[in-house]
Amino acid sequence: MTQEKPSPDGPDHAALIASIAVNRDRAAFAALFAYFAPRVKAWMMRAGSNPTASEELAQETMLAVWQKARLFDPARAGASTWIFTIARNLRIDALRREHHPADLMPDPTDEDEGPLQADRVLSMSQQEVRIRAALSLLPPDQAEVIRKAFFEDKVHSEIEKDLGIPLGTVKSRLRLAMTRLRGMLGDLG
Amino acid sequence: MIQHHPTEQTLLAYATGSLPEALAIVTATHLAQCRLCRQALGTLEATGGAILDELAPVPLSGDALNRLLDRTDEPAPLPPPVLHPDLPAPLNRVALGRWWPVGIGVRYRPLQTAGAAWGGLILAQPGRSLPKHGHEGRELTCILSGSFADGHGHYQAGDLSEPLTDHDVPPMVTGGAPCLCIIASEGMRLRGLLGRVQRLIG
Repeated sequence: MTQEKPSPDGPDHAALIASIAVNRDRAAFAALFAYFAPRVKAWMMRAGSNPTASEELAQETMLAVWQKARLFDPARAGASTWIFTIARNLRIDALRREHHPADLMPDPTDEDEGPLQADRVLSMSQQEVRIRAALSLLPPDQAEVIRKAFFEDKVHSEIEKDLGIPLGTVKSRLRLAMTRLRGMLGDLG
Repeated sequence: MIQHHPTEQTLLAYATGSLPEALAIVTATHLAQCRLCRQALGTLEATGGAILDELAPVPLSGDALNRLLDRTDEPAPLPPPVLHPDLPAPLNRVALGRWWPVGIGVRYRPLQTAGAAWGGLILAQPGRSLPKHGHEGRELTCILSGSFADGHGHYQAGDLSEPLTDHDVPPMVTGGAPCLCIIASEGMRLRGLLGRVQRLIG
């Protein structure tokens, strides 16, 4: 059995983060920056921040990636997922002057999750790959409500307005989409 | 054994960062104790990661990377200090006001949060009911100790109550121990003493 890489068509982002953690590897950081900073900026702009603020948040996100690289645990989250949560928390801080409670949570290594098994490490690094595949298989209407919910910071009533569909339909599409995604991940255990 | 969980909609809002802070703190209190919901949150966050990958990149200014590489000596910000060692995470690190009596056998200690929701700790003695309210918008309650029952079910430590309709029966403390819970709400119309305290400390 061959092990899937987190990103089949790109560099192994988890390995780049590990290299930053261990070697303070500036080349690895530059590669990570080239991939993620423009995506985080794109997200912030879609979510309604102006280009300057969006660039600022992308910068702060990547600085936090450098600073927190040692806390990255590929057994618990893929690279994209980890960077998504960092950017999300910084965005909340910046825009609302609120802390996301995830920032207040104890260090994940203190959590009582039980010992990690080798197969779980493998499956967590594959989770993003599977979700990406699952997203591409969703019917377009379901994929659309998920994207809007995640990256345009829309409450359901706004999605309703945007798409011109009733709120009940927005909710049921979201629910269907999430159920479907979970179903495709169900075999991860 | 935890039996009551937040709705998927609430977990999704938590995952995307769009849940107002007070509601997010109540949700996080449940998450800290509920492995099942942590797994569901992990899936939602991984979905966020996968969608981040799909976004069409928007280039940064030419010197952005170099400006950042100049800052690599900056220390990481320290995590917020533990303020209340007697409370479970994440409540131990959040700012709380003082206790206010809001009725016989019921006290309230507000969260000092900003945003579109408010909340706080409620400590109610056995046999007492939690403050009455009619709510518009989301309302979440997570039990820290003790138990209560309302028209929808019986809630114990770790359970999260997310009523989808108005309480017809006010939550009533059950058993012989006081009930400590953390509540948060958007747009709850408060009545009685809690309402007066709420307006006072606004």
